[in-house]
Amino acid sequence: MSENNTKWFSLNLSNSKPKQQASTCGCGNTSGGCGGHQNEIRSSAIGDERHKDGFEQVFDVQMDRRTAFKKLTASLLIGAGAVTTSCSVVADEKSKEKAQIDWEEQFKGNYKLMSDEEKKATVDRLVRSYELRTNKTISMTSENAQENVLFGYAFNISKCQGYMDCVSACVEENNQDRNSEMQYIRIHEMKDGQGLKFDEADDNYYHEVPAEGHFYLGTQCFHCDNPPCVDVCPVQATWREEDGLVVIDYDWCVGCRYCMAACPYDGRRFNWSKPEVPEDEVNKNQHYLGNRMRKKGVMEKCTFCVQRSRKGQNPACVDACPTGARIFGNLLDPNSTIRWVLENKKVFRLKEDLGTEPKFWYFMD
Amino acid sequence: MRRLKVFKSLLIDSLDVITHGSRKYHLWMGFLTFVMLVGMYCYSIQLDQGLSVTGMTDRVSWGLYISNFTFLVGVAAAAVMLVMPTYVLKDIDFKQAVLIGEGLAVAALIMCLAFVVADMGGPSVLWHMIPGIGVFNFPNSMLTWDVIVLNGYLFLNISIPYYILFRHYQGKDANPKIYVPGALISVFWAVSIHLVTAFLYQGLQARPFWNNALLGPRFLASAFAAGPALIILVLAIIRNYTAFKVENKTIGKLAMIVTVAAQINLIMLVSELFKEFYAPTHHSESAYYLFFGLHGKNALLPWIWTSIPLNVLATVLLTFGKFRNNFKVLYFCCFILFVAIWIEKGFGLIVPGFIPGPYGKIAEYTPTGVEIGVTMGIWALGAFVFTILAKTAIKIETGKLRYKKKDSQ
Amino acid sequence: MNNNCYTYSIGCLIMALFLSFSCKHKESKYHSLTDKIEEESKDFIGTDISLETLLEEMKLLEIHEEGHAFLIPERKGQLKSYACSECHTKPLASMTSLEIGKKAHWNVKLAHADNLTMNCITCHSESNLDELTSLTGSEIDFDASYKLCSQCHTAQFKDWTGGAHGKKIAGWAPPRASMTCVNCHNPHSPSFDTRWPSRFNTQMEKERKEGLSH
Ligand code: SF4
Ligand code: SF4
Repeated sequence: MSENNTKWFSLNLSNSKPKQQASTCGCGNTSGGCGGHQNEIRSSAIGDERHKDGFEQVFDVQMDRRTAFKKLTASLLIGAGAVTTSCSVVADEKSKEKAQIDWEEQFKGNYKLMSDEEKKATVDRLVRSYELRTNKTISMTSENAQENVLFGYAFNISKCQGYMDCVSACVEENNQDRNSEMQYIRIHEMKDGQGLKFDEADDNYYHEVPAEGHFYLGTQCFHCDNPPCVDVCPVQATWREEDGLVVIDYDWCVGCRYCMAACPYDGRRFNWSKPEVPEDEVNKNQHYLGNRMRKKGVMEKCTFCVQRSRKGQNPACVDACPTGARIFGNLLDPNSTIRWVLENKKVFRLKEDLGTEPKFWYFMD
Repeated sequence: MRRLKVFKSLLIDSLDVITHGSRKYHLWMGFLTFVMLVGMYCYSIQLDQGLSVTGMTDRVSWGLYISNFTFLVGVAAAAVMLVMPTYVLKDIDFKQAVLIGEGLAVAALIMCLAFVVADMGGPSVLWHMIPGIGVFNFPNSMLTWDVIVLNGYLFLNISIPYYILFRHYQGKDANPKIYVPGALISVFWAVSIHLVTAFLYQGLQARPFWNNALLGPRFLASAFAAGPALIILVLAIIRNYTAFKVENKTIGKLAMIVTVAAQINLIMLVSELFKEFYAPTHHSESAYYLFFGLHGKNALLPWIWTSIPLNVLATVLLTFGKFRNNFKVLYFCCFILFVAIWIEKGFGLIVPGFIPGPYGKIAEYTPTGVEIGVTMGIWALGAFVFTILAKTAIKIETGKLRYKKKDSQ
Repeated sequence: MNNNCYTYSIGCLIMALFLSFSCKHKESKYHSLTDKIEEESKDFIGTDISLETLLEEMKLLEIHEEGHAFLIPERKGQLKSYACSECHTKPLASMTSLEIGKKAHWNVKLAHADNLTMNCITCHSESNLDELTSLTGSEIDFDASYKLCSQCHTAQFKDWTGGAHGKKIAGWAPPRASMTCVNCHNPHSPSFDTRWPSRFNTQMEKERKEGLSH
């Protein structure tokens, strides 16, 4: 129990190597250095700098080839870990609490079916878990959809200049994996006078923009009102919320990628490997269904920044766009600007013939 | 109580059977075990690093695993070709082959399930899919339909042969009143597993290459060609290496089935090609990619142009009775037909569905070593399971394995 | 024969089950999304979400244009050396000499229409520099500078009042606060420059990786 007195030191303890880590943790660096420090020591054999991935940031699971087999029965192992920890005399309060949290997280239900209390409980657990691992606090919310709200989006093709400020803002806001260069938004550079020729467009340009003789068009998840991706999910890990947002419970997704095949708009992104976000770049203002840390092997996508939009704010892309090409608002409010756009501009949507009813319109000046 | 005792003795006996055999048998099993271990090692790499070690990307998000899964569902469904005449139409010729066919179906189904699990991003939360404990999105998701029908079919194909073998093991005759209804259901079931698997792809309006009404029927036709072709090959091997008797007539009838199915499959292929290339639309691009390559991207060309000639050659040869009745030619035809359909229904079906992507982007897919390793491991697992099942079944059917016998000794 | 009947009945049963389950078409009252939006917003009573707390800190002015009422940021407080008359004590005409030395607005280059159409005094009042001037010579307050722009850019003005042009401040929820013309456009050079796209996740990541390997 003596370890417990120096609470600060015991924070990053894992069950197996209490002593070594207690000493490395004394670097006193509060701005993320501590986490990095610890990482370096753990993976010094590999030699390269490893950033913590989303899953580790939440659960701090370290793994090498040898222990990979264990992953097969991860749930059982965590359970066993919880049991041994609670039986162990030397285990301190913190690691017990950690094990308890991991246990409850592993076997919690589908967020969609949770009551408000349960939602709050899991959010609290995740926040606490993050605090236990990294000594940093995040704020995570679980706001539900509001009544009389249906989110919609409009994109002005004549305004977009291809600056991609939206893409960057989205990556930062939503804690997207830096390694695989994931981005929810793609800006397609198209030739003037050829119409919407997506197959000849370039969505990975890097030159001065706007380029002569080109126009730009952005795509992302369109939050279809009749979303095919939702129907196909075998475990209802993705669904349409009351305010029209199509969201994913990252902890419930089994990673079958059926939804990805079903989306006609290239709206979904998969975590093929551990997502990594440098500790000091993590956006700590999170929502359970939005930009909280993901783990490997789960689906994710644009949520219209649920952590912002449910508070009345614009999604990060809308705020970041320097040209005002992006318009966001409540479709049910007859006085909203999005409604004015729909009623007064010549709007169209992509692949309307599929009957997916995307809530994302394009228009021109 | 007695049943339990018999069951225990059956288990012990079969364990005895499968651990004893000729040198060749041991070599074969050792080889399979080795491949399985390699597969497991590859899978452990995949678990550790995530699916990024495979060739799949956001643009081609299903690959080798799902291709093999799709193909093997067809193989499993083909067991019905033997079940129907034997149990329902009382055609005696098939009686010998039917247990082998059902063993093959079990092995194929186990491989299917293994491929699906290998393809999952989060195998540790797979319990989310268990109805009751998790959330089962039935009936909206075709994948849940597939889970139901596959497991149901697996159950049917284990229980029917198990009942028959269990009776024979005790030296009794199996009661048709008990197994015929099961067999009847499994006939429909076999059609449904393949149709449902086709619907899995057919129902996606996002992928025009799959979203076509012919996909389901073509799945069936090709399955009823490839499955029995494999059964013929397996029967040929069994005939050569064991005491199990397989009549020429049985193989002849199977060959007939393969021939008809292959012909129908070819007609449907022609119909599909006609639609894609006579009046090509924006939606024909995947077919163009598959058969001719698009914008210089042509990774699938060697595959599909191996498959098509083999397919045509096999079908033409089989059509003539003279060739069909020559067993050497027949085996050869079955083999090339099997390979052709494996390519066509696996790679040739899944990958072009993603190319070009929803916005016309062409990103090619090549499986990585790890992926191939896991795939081979799962095939080895299938072969392993089948060998065990077949060996036990043959021993019982040839009367070498009997409960009573052992008792009296 | 008996067997055949059996087969048939089971087949029909399975088919019936299949059909009854397989209809995933959702019960929907509306023909299309637009119908639904129209219908559901008929008796819209507002939401609980409001931006008032977020906008509290900002100095905003309410304007009424084209039947829309909304807030725009106040301008005068943002100008570095308003009021202009604190320096410009004399009328412009008497300040043309070069004697004074360094010019105060040396960095202002006019790239707005051409010389035939516009010069400084198209917008700035010659006599009262604290005010802007309309084409007909009436005074326009700096806080209402959009009125100046709307003299020519009528289509953009209409879109702006409706909400199709320009950006909103803070969020989508009411009250509506929109940026005004000069918040995005430099009035002396209103068009947007070409520049390199920002590529956080590709370019930055590359740079980070390179930085680490050195
Ligand atoms: S755009 Fe794709 S991912 Fe987004 S709701 Fe529609 S189908 Fe689903
Ligand atoms: S990948 Fe996840 S969200 Fe998508 S269908 Fe599969 S389980 Fe559902």
